[in-house]
Order: sequence, then structure tokens, then C-alpha cells
Amino acid sequence: MAEFEAQHLADLARLELTAEELTQMEPQLLSILDFIGKLQEVDTSSISPSVYINDLKNVFREDEAEASDADTRARLIAEFPDRVGDLLKVQGVFEQNDEAL
Amino acid sequence: MTISEAKKLLEEKELTAVELVQSCLDNIAKKEKDVHAFLEVFADEALEQAKAIDSARARGEELGPLAGIPIAIKDNQLIKGKKCTAGSQILENYTATYNATVIERLRLAGAVLIGRTNLDEFAMGSSTETSHFGTTQNPWNLSCVPGGSSGGSAAAVAAGFALGATGSDTGGSIRQPASLCGVVGIKPTYGRVSRYGLIALASSLDQIGVFTHSVEDSALLLQVIEGKDSKDATSVELPETTIAELLRLENINGLKIGLPKEYFIDGMDHEVGSRLHEAVQLLESHGAEVIEISLPHTEYALATYYILQPSEASSNLERYDGIRYGHRSNGKTLTDTYKKTRGAGFGAEVKRRIMLGTFTLSAGYYDAYYKKALAVRALIRRDFDEAFKKVDVIITPTSPCVAWPIGEKFDDPLAMYLADIFTVSLNLAGLPGISIPCGMAHGLPVGLQIVGKAFDEASLFRVGSFFQSITDWHTHAPASFES
Repeated sequence: MAEFEAQHLADLARLELTAEELTQMEPQLLSILDFIGKLQEVDTSSISPSVYINDLKNVFREDEAEASDADTRARLIAEFPDRVGDLLKVQGVFEQNDEAL
Repeated sequence: MTISEAKKLLEEKELTAVELVQSCLDNIAKKEKDVHAFLEVFADEALEQAKAIDSARARGEELGPLAGIPIAIKDNQLIKGKKCTAGSQILENYTATYNATVIERLRLAGAVLIGRTNLDEFAMGSSTETSHFGTTQNPWNLSCVPGGSSGGSAAAVAAGFALGATGSDTGGSIRQPASLCGVVGIKPTYGRVSRYGLIALASSLDQIGVFTHSVEDSALLLQVIEGKDSKDATSVELPETTIAELLRLENINGLKIGLPKEYFIDGMDHEVGSRLHEAVQLLESHGAEVIEISLPHTEYALATYYILQPSEASSNLERYDGIRYGHRSNGKTLTDTYKKTRGAGFGAEVKRRIMLGTFTLSAGYYDAYYKKALAVRALIRRDFDEAFKKVDVIITPTSPCVAWPIGEKFDDPLAMYLADIFTVSLNLAGLPGISIPCGMAHGLPVGLQIVGKAFDEASLFRVGSFFQSITDWHTHAPASFES
């Protein structure tokens, strides 16, 4: 059976979980893992994994940039959680946001 | 009223679109507070649109096949300028910036969009209880769940709030609530309907479909929304068909119906099993040949599904990070902002599946879980290929049980997952399935599922409409919702 470390997984998934959530989730995940572990019984040695279920192959299109119209652009900008003018404002990747301390 | 009945009345000018839309709005005004099928009702716009259609008809203009028909939309399909929440707090204030392809096609056909319907958060659930905006009640018994994840759409059609509704089905999210609410629900073949503008759960399994009262309506609605779309590379070019062609079946003499022995399991509700057998016997008495078949990998379908679906979901839901749209909780660093945003914005079931998917895709376990599940998926598909060499369609129960009391399975995820045991295989194999009301058990509706070969929806419609021509279950309405 799998080694399972809930806090590590939550970090990988960029998910903040409270201690209570972690305590509640761990046994639930273990019982689900136990259930899906059932697949190990199936002999799949002669089978190649099926990634696509329909038989489409190489659906190509021209790689052309399509500009959005002014209305769509305005709607997209209106959804930004934080902005300066029409620009999306984000935190620096290596900076600390002291305001939230 | 069915869509085809309403169409006829509208065309003969015995009913106006305004009257039709108003009658749905009246039902909503009376009963929606008990059912909570909707997250938003577009009352004013729907009436305006109906008025415009009535005027166009009076002027003798050519109208689309759904002109004036009120349709409800599952709230994971984008309607430009309207909120689209996917039942999640993280998208509580998100307004769609463009239309999903199905919305474009419905509008072009003249459908009147009557509102956004409730769903399990990001369509993860089988009861509509994981919605951030409260659960939906089943019109047949308000203390029971409507099924899920498209529970709001199923309940809206059952309650007479709309004549049809859209849904999405990743593991049974159309067929199972259709069964529990006593309406018709179809999950088309993967690739038949464009997923552009559908908020993704698991992209290799998701497919948009519809809820209606009759099989004929199901064919009518599907014809409007289906077909290749350059915006979804997995959508497929379809041959031209007409509704009349789809429904043409004078008799079912010699039709070969497969009954998979693995679907009649010990854990199934006895009465549900009886209704199924009665329905199959009825078809047999009308000339169908019933053949026992085997789909040997059925017992592994649910486990396969609960590896692939959370894996794809955890990847699809990475985009909800609080940066470009949706809820944001500010943290000390960018990584903290991601974590806090997602921790605050997602509900318990979504978090569970993200955790599960992160695990099954993580370096040490990818082969043992994800890759293994892809291989078993191929075996499940092969089972169906073999079966369809012997039979024309396969019939199974849609759900092992009828609607259950709200709260009963909420804290036991595995018990909830088992509600999808008869539906997930089709998503894994990409096949079409339709759930049709076939009787009552414990005072609640039972559904039968007809499964066809890939892109052979025509067989589902033919057998389904034949069944509805010899039964009247689809005309039954919940007692307090009869109009």
C-alpha cells in the first residue's frame, strides 16, 4: 500500500488545509486508495494504455494569433482580482508581500 | 408539456412564446423555494426574448427549431455576461466573458434561456449536495437528493420549470440525476458535442448532454447542440440526420438487447432490479431478443474512474489560483496566495479529489495508479467492443438505488461514489447512454439505461422512443407539481 503524507500532498497541490481538514481527510483518502488499489489485480501486461478514447489523430490548425475584440478584452480585464489600469497586478515571484504580514 | 407538444402549439399559434415562458416562471415562483433548482433565473430577459420571437413569428419570419422553448442551463456552461460559478465559492463572482458553443447553438435555434441551474461543486458529486450554494431538493420527495452532479437541471425539468435543460456527464452526472428525478437524460458519445465553454472536470471523460421528458425531445435538443466545432479539437464531424430518421422504428422485432450479468449485483435495490426486468420483459414481449452478455471488467470500472477523474481534475483545477479571475486570498508570497486562495475557495469534495489526483499523478505512483488505470480503461472498452458484436444495444439499470435522503451519504465519499457504479463505464469507453423512466420503487422514479455503440445515438432514440410509445412513465409528474 502507498506511503501517504497528506501535508506533503497538500503542498504539492498548492492547497492550504487546516489541521482539522487534514485529520478528517486522511482516513477518507486512505479508504479511497484502498478501493482503487483493486486495479493491481488486473493483468494488463499485454495492453497498451488508452489515453484517447476516440480515434482522432493529429487534429491540426493554422497557428495563427487571433486578437480578441474590444468587448471581450474589457470583460477579461474586469475579472482581474487586482490591476493597475488595464494591467493585471501580481505579486513578485521572489518577493514577500509585507502588507499581508 | 414536452418540447414537441409546445412546438406544435406555437407553430399553430395556439400558444405564444410569452405564455409558455410565463407558465414556467409561474411554476418557478410557486415551487422554486422548495426545490432550489436554480442559482439564477433570467425572468426579464426570458420574457423579452419570448416577446421578440412572438413578433418574429407574427411577421412570418423563419424561426429556429427551438423558437420560444424555455431551456435551463447547467451552471458550468458559460453564458456571456452572466455569472458562471460551477457551484464553487472560488467562482462566486465570476462573470463569463464568452459563450460556450452549446449556448451559441441554442440561441441560434431560438431557445429561451431561463436560468442557471445548481450543481455539485465543479460537477464533483452525485447528489448536488457539494454545491457551495446549497443543495437541490428532489421534486418527487423534497427530503431526498435529486442526484448529481446536474441535479438542478434534472429537478428543473421534473418540476416544470423548463421544458429541457443542459447538463454535463463525466461519470453519470446526467443519467443518474435523470433517473432519480424521473426524466430522460442523455450522455452522447465523447466528441459529439463541443466542450468549448464547459468548465472542465476531466477532459477525457466530460461530455455535454440534455434533460427532457420525452426521447423525441432528447433527439431534438441534441440535434441542435451537436456537431463539429473548430474550438474543440475532440469534436467530430457528424453525418446529416433528421429527427424523423432518428426515431423511425415501427417495431423491435429481432432487435438484440444485451443484458450484462455483471450489472445485476447483490447490492442493488431489489425493487429497482424488478422494474428493470419488467421493462426488459416488456420489450421482449414486443419482439426483442434478450441476450445475456458479459462485460468482465465491470468490477474495475469505478476504481479506474476514481483514478483517472481526480487525476485529470487536479490538473484542470490548477488554473484556479486567484491570479487572473475568481476569488483571491492574499498571502505573504505568491505561493502563499495560491495556497490560501485555493484553501478558501474550494469545498471539501473538490479538495479531496485534488489531493487524490495529485497523489495518483505523483512521480512514485504514476505507473501504479494512473498508467494502470489507462490500461484497464482499454480493457473496459474492449469488453464493450466484444459485446456489440453480438447485440444492438445494452440495457442496464441507471442507478443501483432510487433517490436517497439528503445527508445520508454526504460524509462517506466512497458510498457516494458507488452511486455511479452503472454509469462510469460508458464515460471510460466514450459510449453514448440514455436514461429513461421505467417505473417507480419506494414511491420514487427508476431509470433504465440504454447503451449504444460509439456515435450510434440513433439506436438509443429508436429503442427509447419505442419504449415510451408502449409505456407512460415519462408522462408522470411529481404529485404537487402536476400542471
